[in-house]
Amino acid sequence: MTWKDEVDDINRRRELASRQGGEQAIAAQHRKGRLTIRERIDALLDPETFQELGMGAGEAELGDDGALKDFSPANYVLGFGKIGGRMCLVGGEDFTLKGGSPSTAGLRKSVYTEKLAVKYRVPLIRLHEGAGGSVGAPKTKSLSAPVFEPHRFRSVGEALASVPVASAALGAVAGMPAARLVASHFSVMSTSTAQILIAGPAVVQRAMGEKKTKEELGGAGVHTKNGTVDNASEDETDAFVQIRRFLSYLPQHVWELPPVATCDDPADRREEALLDIVPRDRRRAFDMRKALVLIVDDGSFFEIGRGYGRSQITGLARMNGQPVGVWANDGRYLAGAMTADGAHKARRFIELCETFHLPILSFVDEPGFMIGSQAEKEATIRHGANAVLTAAMSSVPWASIMVRRSFGVAQAAHYGPDGYVLAWPSAETGALPVEGGVAVAFHREIAQAEDPDAKRRELEEMLAAKQSPFPRAEAFSVHELIDPRQTRPMLCRWVERIQPLLPQLLGPSGFPVRP
Amino acid sequence: MTTLIELETGGSVWKVLVKEGDDVTEGQTLFIMEVMKMEVPYDSPVTGRISALHIAEGDVAEEGQPAVEIG
Repeated sequence: MTWKDEVDDINRRRELASRQGGEQAIAAQHRKGRLTIRERIDALLDPETFQELGMGAGEAELGDDGALKDFSPANYVLGFGKIGGRMCLVGGEDFTLKGGSPSTAGLRKSVYTEKLAVKYRVPLIRLHEGAGGSVGAPKTKSLSAPVFEPHRFRSVGEALASVPVASAALGAVAGMPAARLVASHFSVMSTSTAQILIAGPAVVQRAMGEKKTKEELGGAGVHTKNGTVDNASEDETDAFVQIRRFLSYLPQHVWELPPVATCDDPADRREEALLDIVPRDRRRAFDMRKALVLIVDDGSFFEIGRGYGRSQITGLARMNGQPVGVWANDGRYLAGAMTADGAHKARRFIELCETFHLPILSFVDEPGFMIGSQAEKEATIRHGANAVLTAAMSSVPWASIMVRRSFGVAQAAHYGPDGYVLAWPSAETGALPVEGGVAVAFHREIAQAEDPDAKRRELEEMLAAKQSPFPRAEAFSVHELIDPRQTRPMLCRWVERIQPLLPQLLGPSGFPVRP
Repeated sequence: MTTLIELETGGSVWKVLVKEGDDVTEGQTLFIMEVMKMEVPYDSPVTGRISALHIAEGDVAEEGQPAVEIG
C-alpha cells in the first residue's frame, strides 16, 4: 500500500491551480493587453527563479465518492524569486479568478506574503490587479474577518519599516490592493492598462451622482500627477524594469548597507559644462536635471515622482558606485518653490533615504515656500514644516550643494544636521530673495524716490551682493566654495569619507515611512 | 514626424523667438515663459522647421497647453 492516490491528487490540484481562471478568462485577460499574474512574475524575476508557495490553497469540489472533481485556486499567487541575483518575495492577485477580489485563502496568502518578507528580510514586490472586499453574495453564511481584527495593515507597516517594498498597478486596482499599492517605498502604474480607484464608477455614480469612467476617475492622468503613485510606466514590462532598477540601489533590509557597485566612471571627472550651466542673469531658469546627470555616475540617475510636486526633483543615483539619494529644485517649475505637494514628496524621499541608510546629495535652488492664496489653502506651511523637521531629525549623512538660491525657512529642508555644505559661485542665500524682500522692507524709500523703479533696482543690486556665498564661506557656514566643475570629484571624496559612518546607522529608522 | 512642445507649467509667454516656417536647430531657444518672476526658456528638442505656433507674447497660458510644433 502506497500513498500514490494522494500524491496523484496533490499533482492534479497543482495542475488545476496552474490553469488559474481557465482558458477563457486568460484569453480575456490577454485581449485587454494584460498579462496573467504568473506571466507577470516570470517577466519580473530573473529567469527560472520563481519558487511558488501555497499552490494547493483554494476550494476543492469533491464527488460523492470523495474524489476530486474540480479545484478553484485561491486568487493570490506568491513565492520567492530573484532579482539581479538577490532573493525577494513577490505576490499578486489573480484577476482571472473573481476579478482579483480576495477569496478567503487568497486573503490569507496576501497577508502571509507581507509577514514572510518581514520574517525573511527580503524585498517585497506586489503586482496588483484586483478589488477589495465585496458586500458578498446573499447566500454567504459567515461574515469575513474585519480589516481591523487582526489588523491587516500591521504587516504592511512592518514591511515598510524593514525591507524595500515596491508595488505596481497593472490593471484596475481598488480597495485594499490600492491601499497596499501606495503603502510602498516605490510604486509604479502602467499607463496603458491600470486604474487606481477607491470605488469604481458604479459605486461613485450611486453615492455621488457623478458619472465617470474608470479611466476618468483613477487613470494615469489623475494618479501620476497627484502623488498616488511615484512613477508612470508605458506598459507592464516597463513597470517591471523600473522595479528592478529601483531595487538595485537598495539593500535587502535595513540591517544591511546598500550594495556598492563597481564603477567605470572616473571619480575625478570634471565637467566643463557645469561652469556656465547656471545663467548669470538671475531671472533665467536652467535645467537642473542636466547638471545632476553630469555629476552622478554615468547613467545612474533614476528619478522618482517626476509627475507631482514638480518643483522638487527626487531620485536615486550612484557616486563612485555608492548608492545615494539625490534631491534638487527644479527652477523651471514654479521657480522651484516648495509647494505642499513638493514638501510631501521631499518628506517621503528623506524617509526613504533614512530607512535604507542612503547618503543624501541635495542640490539647492530653493526660493522658499510657495506663496499666495492657493498655497495658503493647501496648508503649505504645515507640509513644508513637515519636510523641514524630517530633514532636521534625519541621521544619514548629507552633502548639500548650494547651486543657486537658498532662502527662507524652506531652505532648512535641504540641509541635514551637521551636513557637508558646498556652494557654487552662483549661490545666493538669505531670509528671502531680494526681489520680494526689497519691495517690502524699503517700500517707503522706494515710493519717495524720484524714479521708484530705478531705486528698487539699485537696492536689489546692493542687497543681492550681500547674498553672495563668499561671506558665508568666510564665516564657515559654507564649508567649501567650489568651482562647479569640481562638484563630482569633491562629492566622490566625501562619499569615501563617510564610509565609516554608514555601518553605525544600521537597523530600523527612528521615524517610519508612511504613505 | 511632428514634434509637439507643450508647456510644462502655466505662466505668461514673455518672448517668442521664432515664427512659423523658421528652420531651427536642436538646442535653440524657441520661446521664454515667465513663471514666478523666473524666465523659463524652452529649447528645441530637434532640428526641423516650425510648422505651427500656438502661443504669442503676452499670452497667459496653462500647463499642458500646446506651444510649438516642429516638423
